[in-house]
Amino acid sequence: MTPRSLFDRMSLLPGRLGQRLGLLDHVPEGLPDGAPPPRHVFRWDLDKTYLRTEFDSLADLARSAVENAADKQAYPGATALLRALHQDGHRICIVSGSPTQMRQVLAAKLALDGISYDEFVLKNNLKNLLRGRFRALRAQIPYKLPAMLQSRLGAAAEAETLFGDDAEADAIIYCLYADLIAERVTLADLERVLIASRAYDDDAVRILDLARRVPKYDAVRRMFIHLDRRSAPVGFRHYGPRLVPVFNYFQAALVLYGDRVLSARQVIFVALEMLDSGQFEIGHLATSVQDVIRRGRISREVALQLAAEAHEAAHSGALSGRNDLPPFEQIAHAFRDRVRELGPVDHRADELTATLDYVRLVDEEHEHRRTRRRRGH
Amino acid sequence: MHRIVVDAMGGDHAPEEIVHGAAEASLALPSAEIILVGDAAELGRLLPRMRHDGARVRVHHAPTFVEMDEKPAEALAAKPESSIAVAADLVARGEGDALVSAGNTGASVLACARRWPLLQGVRRAALAAVYPTELRRGEKDDPFSLILDVGATIEASAEDLVGFAVMGSAYAKLVSQNRRPRVALLSNGTEAGKGPAPVVAAHAALVETTELNFIGNIEGLDIPRGVADVVVTSGFVGNVVLKMLEGVSETVVRLARYAHKERLAWRLGLIALSSAIDQLKSITDWQQYGGAPLLGFTHPFIKAHGRSNAHAITNAIKVAHKALAGNLCGHIARTMAELDERANRRPRTANDATSDPGAS
Repeated sequence: MTPRSLFDRMSLLPGRLGQRLGLLDHVPEGLPDGAPPPRHVFRWDLDKTYLRTEFDSLADLARSAVENAADKQAYPGATALLRALHQDGHRICIVSGSPTQMRQVLAAKLALDGISYDEFVLKNNLKNLLRGRFRALRAQIPYKLPAMLQSRLGAAAEAETLFGDDAEADAIIYCLYADLIAERVTLADLERVLIASRAYDDDAVRILDLARRVPKYDAVRRMFIHLDRRSAPVGFRHYGPRLVPVFNYFQAALVLYGDRVLSARQVIFVALEMLDSGQFEIGHLATSVQDVIRRGRISREVALQLAAEAHEAAHSGALSGRNDLPPFEQIAHAFRDRVRELGPVDHRADELTATLDYVRLVDEEHEHRRTRRRRGH
Repeated sequence: MHRIVVDAMGGDHAPEEIVHGAAEASLALPSAEIILVGDAAELGRLLPRMRHDGARVRVHHAPTFVEMDEKPAEALAAKPESSIAVAADLVARGEGDALVSAGNTGASVLACARRWPLLQGVRRAALAAVYPTELRRGEKDDPFSLILDVGATIEASAEDLVGFAVMGSAYAKLVSQNRRPRVALLSNGTEAGKGPAPVVAAHAALVETTELNFIGNIEGLDIPRGVADVVVTSGFVGNVVLKMLEGVSETVVRLARYAHKERLAWRLGLIALSSAIDQLKSITDWQQYGGAPLLGFTHPFIKAHGRSNAHAITNAIKVAHKALAGNLCGHIARTMAELDERANRRPRTANDATSDPGAS
């Protein structure tokens, strides 16, 4: 139960101070007693997924660490998308690899953007450093996977959607998590993956325990990988159609519209935020629609249905006060043109045929990371 | 945003290398949109294999394409929905701003000529080619000179040649960042009165222009020396010269191979020179240059080499982007209008109508 009295709040202070300094772990508060389980949980990474962060070099890292909240930039459309999801009553859980010492500035940035969230977990790297666990400083799976399992233990939903990026191992971690809670990956398999991930023994024991206790259900409906590095989308094909690489958040909104998670009006709001950023024009959004159709991530029918519903939404005021935009008919025409330009060709996404070999994927990811380090990326 | 239409099916290595080049260009040119024209299924299969920006590369379906060895006019008549025809149409309809193709040169030029209007004041279009030279030029230390026309207009009048000079100069200014490119007429002697009538008349007209840095006539041997930055000639002569220069280069390479095989001393000599040869090769690599522009139309068209790989295509797209960003066509039209205005003000003299076709 959430403490309400002054005494209760005072009693939390030492713990919060410890968390801020990085001496104590932040454990997400689950649902309050008696609260109904959430319908849909959206798990978001922050760096390179929500926030435009450069940490390819030490200078980038240093710059990122001293930036204040106002200097940090969200990707166009991500804020509108997160707001829409929260307004619909979905649970927003943020799991980021940023250090706990950045909690204040990151929380301030989210507040500036008007983002409300239910959980916000950061990586306690100071603790890793003090314990001499240098492997854990860069480790992804031994950090993110238990954070997500812990979160699900506190608030299990029947549906989950995950947002990550192509900079690190998000695709592997998210699929592993999805397969674990759907009981497609056994504990023995997980143990092998943790060994390949070079997890410390006690961390591995803790993760296996969480995996044993986590509520099992095939809950993960979608995983979005934001192509921050502009990686080739085909590199993610083996993860199957549930994982959608996206170049921008309009594409994510389109897929979520197709999944009946977002309304046409909410998709319009994502599009408007992207146009307002000055980094996108209507043509870019129309091309983004064509791209997801071409990759078989949404059908032409869904795109046309969206155009029809967006037309209604525009007439009912979704575009009111937007004198800077051309009439909606003109915008819809540009979108329909892009769909028509594809000709009569039928585009379908390749279906997942084989189960994933996570040990191999982890090994490949390590090799990939080593290569990137050698090249100075 | 500049929209660059790319014939994805044209070229010896199409569509893979073309799509790859366009994908790279989408990352390098954030203010451009690339429109790939070709078989949508094939392009849709290739594009996700490459790093690119999905909001800046789109596909426009075209069910057929013109083969490299097809006769241009016949092929375009038989395949009205070929990728080059559809691509040129898109630009003509205002759905694209520039065109890049590595496909059949004749078909590409014809497709543009049939759909795009000429710039005001331009009587004939010119296809330009670049040739590596001894001297360098411009802010980029460009080792290439521009030769035009190399085949778009077989017989050129004096006015056509003046137009070519204006177009070539504008292009060199923009692409080579050469503030005042040296423009010369190709003739059989450096004297003003030498050459066929159109060349002599063009010389007389160009001498009076202040817009161009006209240095007079040059001879064939001056081309590889790099005496001029822009070499102006008729399409017939230009094509013969270009082919001959290419032939000489190939012969030199063959002789070097022969020398390499024949004698150990010659082989050692070539090995000693190998790093210098490699450097020369990289400097004069046509793939760096992108392609040859077709000048005179209301839109830029960059004809990439038929053997273009992804790198050459990316560079050709960058050149098209540069032409759009620098308003190449606008500059040409403005200079042509200025020349026209001056010609109208000037009373006609005997020199305008007659010439002395002297021979060396």
